[in-house]
Amino acid sequence: MAQCATCLSPQEERIADSSKVKRQGRERVFKILERIQFTVPHVDIERALYFTRSMRETEGELLTLRWAKALKHVAENITVYITPDQLLAGRVGQLGRYGILYPEIDGDFYIEVMKDLPNRAKSPFQISDSDMKTLVEEIAPYWEGKTYHEHLNKALPQELRTVTYDDARGLKSKFVVSETSSYRSALQWVPDYEKVIKRGFIDIQNEAKEKLANLDLTNGVDIWEKKPFLEAMVIVCDAIMIWAKRHVELAKKLAAEEKDEKRKAELLQIAEICERVPAYPARTFREAVQCQWFVQMFSRIEQKASAIISNGRMDQYLYPFYEQDIKNGTITRDEARELLECMWVDMAQFIDLYINPTGNEFQEGYAHWEAVTIGGQTPDGEDATNDLSYLFLESKRDFPLNYPDLATRIHSRTPERFMHEIALTVKDGSGFPKLINDEEVVPLYAIKGAPINEALDYAVSGCTEARLPNRETYTSGCVYVNFASALEMLMYNGRMKHYGDELIGIETGDVTKMKTWEEFYEAYKAQHMNLLHKAFQQQHIVDKLRPLHFASPLSSVLHNLCMKHCKDLQCEKIEEGVDYSYFEFLGYATVVDSLAAIKKLVFENKKLTMKEVVDALEADFEGYKPIQQMLKSTPRYGNNDPYADSIAKDIDRFTQVEAKKNSEERGINVDVRYVPITSHVPFGKIVSATPNGRHAWFPLSDGTSASHGADDHGPTAVLMSNYHTKNYGMINRASRLLNIKLSPKCVEGESGTRKIMDIIRTWCDLKLWHLQFNIVNRSTLLAAQKDPNNYRALLVRIAGYSAYFCDLSRDLQNDIIDRTEHTEM
Amino acid sequence: MLDKDQEGLIFNIQNFSVHDGEGIRTLVFFKGCPLHCIWCCNPESQKFTPERAFNPMRCLTAAECGRCIKACEYDALTLIDGLICFTPQKCTACGKCVDRCPSGAQSFYGKKYTVEEVIQLVEKDESFYIRSGGGITLSGGEALCQPDFALALLRESKKHSLRTTIETCGHYPTEILAEACKYLDELIMDIKSLNEEKHKKFTGATNEQILKNVKYLCDNQPDLKITFRTPVIPGFNDTEEDIMAIRELLPVRDTLNYELMTYHRMGQPKYEYLGRPYQLEGVVADEVLMKKLRAMIAQYAEIHKNA
Repeated sequence: MAQCATCLSPQEERIADSSKVKRQGRERVFKILERIQFTVPHVDIERALYFTRSMRETEGELLTLRWAKALKHVAENITVYITPDQLLAGRVGQLGRYGILYPEIDGDFYIEVMKDLPNRAKSPFQISDSDMKTLVEEIAPYWEGKTYHEHLNKALPQELRTVTYDDARGLKSKFVVSETSSYRSALQWVPDYEKVIKRGFIDIQNEAKEKLANLDLTNGVDIWEKKPFLEAMVIVCDAIMIWAKRHVELAKKLAAEEKDEKRKAELLQIAEICERVPAYPARTFREAVQCQWFVQMFSRIEQKASAIISNGRMDQYLYPFYEQDIKNGTITRDEARELLECMWVDMAQFIDLYINPTGNEFQEGYAHWEAVTIGGQTPDGEDATNDLSYLFLESKRDFPLNYPDLATRIHSRTPERFMHEIALTVKDGSGFPKLINDEEVVPLYAIKGAPINEALDYAVSGCTEARLPNRETYTSGCVYVNFASALEMLMYNGRMKHYGDELIGIETGDVTKMKTWEEFYEAYKAQHMNLLHKAFQQQHIVDKLRPLHFASPLSSVLHNLCMKHCKDLQCEKIEEGVDYSYFEFLGYATVVDSLAAIKKLVFENKKLTMKEVVDALEADFEGYKPIQQMLKSTPRYGNNDPYADSIAKDIDRFTQVEAKKNSEERGINVDVRYVPITSHVPFGKIVSATPNGRHAWFPLSDGTSASHGADDHGPTAVLMSNYHTKNYGMINRASRLLNIKLSPKCVEGESGTRKIMDIIRTWCDLKLWHLQFNIVNRSTLLAAQKDPNNYRALLVRIAGYSAYFCDLSRDLQNDIIDRTEHTEM
Repeated sequence: MLDKDQEGLIFNIQNFSVHDGEGIRTLVFFKGCPLHCIWCCNPESQKFTPERAFNPMRCLTAAECGRCIKACEYDALTLIDGLICFTPQKCTACGKCVDRCPSGAQSFYGKKYTVEEVIQLVEKDESFYIRSGGGITLSGGEALCQPDFALALLRESKKHSLRTTIETCGHYPTEILAEACKYLDELIMDIKSLNEEKHKKFTGATNEQILKNVKYLCDNQPDLKITFRTPVIPGFNDTEEDIMAIRELLPVRDTLNYELMTYHRMGQPKYEYLGRPYQLEGVVADEVLMKKLRAMIAQYAEIHKNA
């Protein structure tokens, strides 16, 4: 034990002493940032308005074509902006922090939900009275009876509704088997930016025109499916080019009005760049970055892709331009960095707006995480690190902002120097970068059907997912399954305290009459399987309905397989495509620890009877503190203890067995994933006390992290438990989110940096999927709760992304505080 | 007896140790120490027998629980003003209260392990040693005061290709130290004071044997990586003269390192759990002085390296 004086992370030092923020050379981005940071975002209705007006006129046509026409209408009419002081053009809403609306998903909610938006406790938004009026009188009425959400709500049979919704309108989730498809039109996506940067939309459009010219117009499929699809492709290329071009006019106009010569020159340069991209191939680093930004923002207009349009492998596709411009002397390293940071501050202004109250519970803190992927391997398996990879890490350390999310791909030959820089960035304490393991993802994706060179070229997307932008074709929002509720249904014969007498699961009998562990465990499995089957059925309905409601011409025109087969990316199946679908496992450690406690105390050493356990649970441990403590003292997951870990592994195994069966039935990969984002908090709110000693309505365990405070054997044990509970012999597995919280003292100095490198290398050896660190003192978090105004800038890692601690609800703040902090031993 | 079957008394096995020795290590704490330093941060390490302890912080209180009082047949646990009081003198270490306690407030410090069991626990983190250069660290207490067990553990560790380190006080026969050095990759030894009288007063033992062992290491183990450490304790050895005297005793060479440890009170609560007084109540480390002393020894090493 050598802990003495406290030690602050660099982030904590900056909060304590603002003079430590590195502002030099960042005057511009700080100026932009300070105007918008910590303000309440507003709703911009223009996208919804013009989209709706166009859709009203095109009923009956092929959906992809309607969508492309709508995008063109939006492109022609939406207000265009250039953020003051910005070097990049292109935003899809008014100045300041803003969110936009997608009424095709959930416009049926608007009238009842929008009025509460400014006052809701979690992630509030403001909207003007006149916009509210347009919304209620023009936009919402058109969508009534037409939204995806309403369709799904009507299509779900009663036995699925019981576990899905808690009201007739489908507004309130039951938090048992939750669908996530009705607050987003797709999973997070990564468009092939490189294609646009290299070819430009004129060339891409020519490809579509050529195909159109070669159609066999005696063939019904060609006439009625391919022709309108290709017409849509042509139109969507026009749409984005029209929108980009409008910024040329604006930049010129602003330049003419501008008094400051320096700014005038900048605006003229913006005009020149927007004249070129994204219509033609980019020639310089500046053009490439602007081109990426246009594609990213226009894809926001196209659809709500689950909070995120990720940035893809930015250090790869931008590098040739960077290298060339540095060599030519047309840009300096600092100028390149400033341009990227300009992108980050505009990214920070687009807020992913959740109208759906359930969606809002899932991702708190105005969550959106446009992952930038750096490092990893090239498509032919060489190390891919370059000078831009380092630049991204430096920018993240020196410029504390939660956008973009920075994801680093690690592999067995990641250079030591790069690893050292990663460890230094981790130590900064704001939660970046998250790490994704090539040694797990690449082989797994290849086994599941991707060509190995494409698997090697994956981009990180969303919290912890990987995307293959020209191979993946599955886009439905996936189902979240609350397996802690299965446990509760086991204890109460299919019922849950929160929902009273309603039979939600199946009747597995009186738990106090069960004689053996085997009998008890089988009953758990029965409850577990019941929810799993309901989840698969629900997802099947989702997959069938979505293509009827959504199309994505922009994503399709950039996807090789969509263009080859003339199919919209939203289609249920596309030839040669690979579908990586998943379902979410919530409450892993909660379930494992509860089962282990009962196995040990009731069936093995018989220190408790099942009746005593049930009585204690019913009372939420009030008057049963000794029993609660006993339940907490048994072997628990996260401590590298085979007793608990073997149960955890078995649960993962039989879940995967069932997923494999379902995959074969549906013809797609259905994988089990453990990434709750922030939903382990609301899912916990409907689960009463559990036999791991957890109080009623408290958060469930998070991802594959241990139950709160259960992992008292240090971070190595947490990693080993994860390793020992994975079934490496099976392939229906996806990402596992793994949090490690360390005290800054524990990683102090150069030897501390080395320890982080050692942990990362070992994690890579163990072939675990994901790893993220929170390096922050518990006392800092407690102080921030008391005095939020002085801690506005405090970033913490949530679940695959970082957010401002003070933007989070009290529940989630407490959840983060309660994650075990590993101090040095 | 086979090395793997040797038994010894251990009071803790702790993984993810990052400050004692190279890399990420697992510390094996031996119970029993020939010294009883008044600042000791592991007071539970001192006795060579298992000890009962009561941690009131973890106790659910007699009102909520009180199972231990009912379990105790020797009146070692009594209720005074609603609080559970532990009288160590009356305790026979029968373990009934520990068995009944649901929260871990009642516990034993010290448990028998075989070498094989220790190795198994240590190897659970082997993946981390591979990358970090870590391994097993024998700590305590004083590992070499259970010489048969400690040496068997070191030999068995080498058989398992584990990297070995020891943290030791140096108070035992030189032959044992010489034998241990055969199986060590790294050795960390404390030198508390060169003043024999003070040493006896503050640690309960003279420094004669310790200094003999220091000399043995300096003269006979030129290739072993050795760190000598001095815990700087206010009122005991916290002067430039004290520290410099120790430093001057040691040669300056690449394989030998000298470090100062800042006094801390992390172990204080454990005195309470054991029902013992803490003699350094209110004492705090002088950070300014520590900085000065560290600069002084750094300078000494610099000068003598070039000399």
